Amino acid sequence: MVVEVGEAEARPKIIGARVQRVEDPRLLTGHGTFIDDINLPGTLHIAFARSDYAHARITRVDTADAAAMPGVFGVFTASDISDLFNPIRATSRMADYHATELPVLAGSKARFVGEPVVAVAAESRYLAEDAAEKIYISYEELGAVVDPVAAAEPDAPVLHDDVGSNVILTRTFMRGDVDEAMASAPIRVGDSFRMHRKTPTAMENRGYLADYDQGRRALTLHSTSQVPGIVRDALVEMLDIPGNRLRVVAPDVGGGFGGKGALYREEVLVCVLARLLGRPVKWLSDRMEDLMSTNQAFDERIEAELACDEQGHILGLRAEVTGDVGAYSAYPWTATVEPVQVVSFLPGPYRVPHYRGRVRGVTTSKAPMGAYRGVGRPISTFVMERLIDMAAAKLSLDPLEMRRRNMVRAEEFPYKAASGIVWDRAGFMECLDAVTERLDYQGLRESQAEARERGRWVGIGLASYAELTGLGSRIAVAPGMPVNTGTESANIRIDSSGAVTAYFGIASHGQGLETTLAQVVAEELGVRVGDVEVIHGDSAIVAHGTGTYASRSAVLAGGAAIMSARAVREQVLKAASHILEADAGDIDAANGKIFVKGTDKSISFRDLARAVYSEMGRLPREVREDIELEATRTYDPFFGTATPATHLAMLEIDPETYQVKILRYGVAEDCGRIINPLIADGQVHGGVAQGIGAALMEEVVYDDAGQILTASLMDYVVPTAAEIPSMEVIHLETELPNNIGGFRGMGEGGTIGAPAAIANAIADALALNVNELPMTPERLFRLVGKQQE
Amino acid sequence: MKPPAFEYLAPASLDEAVAALADDEAKVLAGGQSLVPMLNFRLLAPSLLVDINRIPGLDYIEDNGAGGLRVGALTRHYSLETSELVLQRFPILNAAMRYVAHLAIRNRGTIGGSLCHGDPAAELPGLMLLLDAKMKTTQRTIAAADFYQGALETALADDEILTEIQLPALADETGWGFEEFARRSGDFALTAVGATVGEGAARIVVIGAHDTPLRLTAAEALFPDIDAVVAAAQAEVSPNDDLHASADYRRHLVGVLTRRALAAAI
Amino acid sequence: MIKVTVNGVTFEREVEPRLSLADFLRHELGLTGTHVGCEQGVCGACTIILNGDSVRACLCFAVQADGCEIETVEGLGTVDNMDPLQQSFQAHHALQCGFCTPGMLMTGVDLLRKYPLATDAEIREGLSGNLCRCTGYEHVVQAIRAVVEANNGG
Repeated sequence: MVVEVGEAEARPKIIGARVQRVEDPRLLTGHGTFIDDINLPGTLHIAFARSDYAHARITRVDTADAAAMPGVFGVFTASDISDLFNPIRATSRMADYHATELPVLAGSKARFVGEPVVAVAAESRYLAEDAAEKIYISYEELGAVVDPVAAAEPDAPVLHDDVGSNVILTRTFMRGDVDEAMASAPIRVGDSFRMHRKTPTAMENRGYLADYDQGRRALTLHSTSQVPGIVRDALVEMLDIPGNRLRVVAPDVGGGFGGKGALYREEVLVCVLARLLGRPVKWLSDRMEDLMSTNQAFDERIEAELACDEQGHILGLRAEVTGDVGAYSAYPWTATVEPVQVVSFLPGPYRVPHYRGRVRGVTTSKAPMGAYRGVGRPISTFVMERLIDMAAAKLSLDPLEMRRRNMVRAEEFPYKAASGIVWDRAGFMECLDAVTERLDYQGLRESQAEARERGRWVGIGLASYAELTGLGSRIAVAPGMPVNTGTESANIRIDSSGAVTAYFGIASHGQGLETTLAQVVAEELGVRVGDVEVIHGDSAIVAHGTGTYASRSAVLAGGAAIMSARAVREQVLKAASHILEADAGDIDAANGKIFVKGTDKSISFRDLARAVYSEMGRLPREVREDIELEATRTYDPFFGTATPATHLAMLEIDPETYQVKILRYGVAEDCGRIINPLIADGQVHGGVAQGIGAALMEEVVYDDAGQILTASLMDYVVPTAAEIPSMEVIHLETELPNNIGGFRGMGEGGTIGAPAAIANAIADALALNVNELPMTPERLFRLVGKQQE
Repeated sequence: MKPPAFEYLAPASLDEAVAALADDEAKVLAGGQSLVPMLNFRLLAPSLLVDINRIPGLDYIEDNGAGGLRVGALTRHYSLETSELVLQRFPILNAAMRYVAHLAIRNRGTIGGSLCHGDPAAELPGLMLLLDAKMKTTQRTIAAADFYQGALETALADDEILTEIQLPALADETGWGFEEFARRSGDFALTAVGATVGEGAARIVVIGAHDTPLRLTAAEALFPDIDAVVAAAQAEVSPNDDLHASADYRRHLVGVLTRRALAAAI
Repeated sequence: MIKVTVNGVTFEREVEPRLSLADFLRHELGLTGTHVGCEQGVCGACTIILNGDSVRACLCFAVQADGCEIETVEGLGTVDNMDPLQQSFQAHHALQCGFCTPGMLMTGVDLLRKYPLATDAEIREGLSGNLCRCTGYEHVVQAIRAVVEANNGG
């Protein structure tokens, strides 16, 4: 059921309409196809024996009892499979970065609790788990590496002997002479900030099903992947199977948030075993495995200091960042992806004349750090926005005014930020104004003052930021990687029945791209949304495509859709011009009909396709041969585009229990030309909810021995409907970005702004510094207690 | 997270169930809302599950004829939450039920199962202590005060089944208060306090701040000096540090919630 | 041998005692609309209706459902004829990845039967046993609110 827009003959505005999603009917009726909904006959199920130790030498593995269990087809250790694939490491040309090998099974050493050591293949998951319990592994402990600061010391136990140090990356961003600027500044504020470790927790756990066709020597991997193209290319190298016989398909995927945007060892393993055993092999993560082994995020320590003049104008900013990157450098993004973004985005949407951000990434015996929604920017925004508020407080300046004085203004674009990022013209100040006007910031301040007089702890927090989205080839998502993330392709085809199919290299997993890309194609081609079938998430359908991550799909795939649809439309008009005997320039297409403007002469896409493909003789041969109702185009936005936003949170803290209740929440953001406001709202809501989780609840905890304490959903606390407030979302469209669709990426933003806005609101309510997130009731209790002492 | 293999028996009578429990690796399966997760995590590996859900006559809420109630062990939480009789006699039970997990868990989870699992952070065991309930089993009747012996440890023998909870009448004009603090809606309590006040005396029970649900007798004795009660309550509990809250914070919450529960009860 | 009626169709199957009801529905009966997210009763993705009440299918063994009536998401409405709750979810964009959605719907069905849902706070409380990571719950609350209002003649 699709909402139709506009009159039959008029050119409808499909881009920008609140079109209901085409994905929904199947997902609402239980007819989606998620990874575990695919059942191939003869499938073997994998369970792992995973390391119980944070950092230990594996001295002996006894699999005899397990192998003898009923229903067990095979038990595999690292040495059993080491000859069956080529090893892989996440390389980068970035200086001062050292790649670590990503083993499939831990061989001589285990480096975090939950690392897979032995795999059992059995007739069912139940039997596989029975056997996994009978695997006996002897370990010799090598000392857990839990604290990244201690791990960076020369005498710390080293996780990767071939690297020789736990510090696997260092980088510095600089502008001007920050030390000089700080030394002479009248106002300085600073603190040690800490953002704790988080995990994406998509509702669907990861899962992989490999199917090897022995006759064709062809492998199909069904994977809950956001990046099937990247996985395909990596597996081609690892398995020595050419890409035309190695296909990676993402079925319906139950959320990712970055956690499914990397190559995982379990997906390599099922491929290796499927080829070895000649049967389909499936591994489905359970929730405990997900919480222990899916790439995690955040976990950054930041020493930061901001200087400004007496009017609040920023003079300088400096920061030292230590990123806890976990046990391995995740493929393909490398361990640089998050820590480096913290320092490259730290200056925020502000004019910062002098800057130095230094970062180091340190391996620890924890699950690897990967790319999670917002990547680095939730942390940089938390720190910078706290510093802005701290400076405002010191100057007795309203936080809103402090931001106005420093934010990049309309006339300053394009603006080169202190870390080198170039912001194109976007509604930085407009977002700040819009959200504070819509929620009546002054009115909120007055009601806050009233509440405070009655002893209530009410606070208001602002958070402004800009992210760089829709990155083209000039600005890679993670610089120096051997993966091109700067282009996407689309293939659009009208078949002999007149139906339109659009193939993409992206992999929608909740973003609704089957709908938004259909809107783009429909508008450009002149058909209805329901006439376009969008196919995605399959490495075999376009020559190159990397997937859905980094707020890129609307910009890149949307751009490729426009280019290909325009190319097909030209062909359609050419054919129609012969059939309708009119000049192509007088012909238009809308709502699935091709017509001569101002006349009643028209033809449907179906009849046009029949004329081209089937009814030989309707078009002269030379005309037919010149018409190709199909086009493939690749779009490269070359640079990226800024997506700015300001969040506003008003909350109340119970002065006795320290429970935080969010009273108001507003977001104003500029994502350029909106394809579907319904979907854009949903992206913001979901992002904010995850940001609220990061601000108040969600935390992966490892103890001193490197044991993970949050391996269940009782202990890893994600917000429910009862903790998330209603939100107001304002979409602004200032100047359209310089890309073909005028789109800006917006999938991650909510998660970037919310932690900072809430931290600022809590600090405002308590008149205390908040330098650590999540601010759990326990931490609030201690924070307030410390002040009262 | 698949459970280990076990045998399964769904007896039609209590006698049959008790006989089956002679196998010392057997466990009773009631609502299963705590037991099944433990099986799925492979924290338990019983040889036999004795499913008592098919035993007739264990799901009821009845007037005991003396102003109190008898509640069958297989009564579901949702029945307690919505029972008119419970609302008349023990409104604190209805009120507390809305803190128990979520609808789907309350639909399936049984009163007897929750009491026998005996999670120190669960609401029902504490409420039984507060309301001076008696636990009728296949062998005897045990006072709630004697029922909880340690964390997840009850006085029940391995082959003993809880069949009925007997709630004696509250004195006329008894006031009540139930205050809970959890991190999220439906989570186990970080701490909860239930209090009744009647005939000039208070009864106070704390949940989640001790190995077992704990009646605060020393604090009760200081009633109606609320400040003294609160101080005594905080001294009486011995909470643990865990992932979600420190002992200090829990002790602090005991004070806050005791004060609030008493204020509601008075 | 157990006999269960699912969405009006009766099935007889031999099952191992430890087989969860969720795995039974999904893998023995092929009703893959019921999703499994945590196997510990927290996430709510596997919520189904058992003898008229919503329950977690991951916390129930298939053997226990012998003789029972079960409703799953497949029983609500079809792709071409969705029921009012499903339609409201689509109209309000109350789902993104769709993985939690079957559980949300089945919880919604039971909440709508049992509670007045007079306020959004009550709806949020009622949904708090169903985790969603995509929507931030806002549109889910709106979708259920719209059905409450329609049922109340609003």
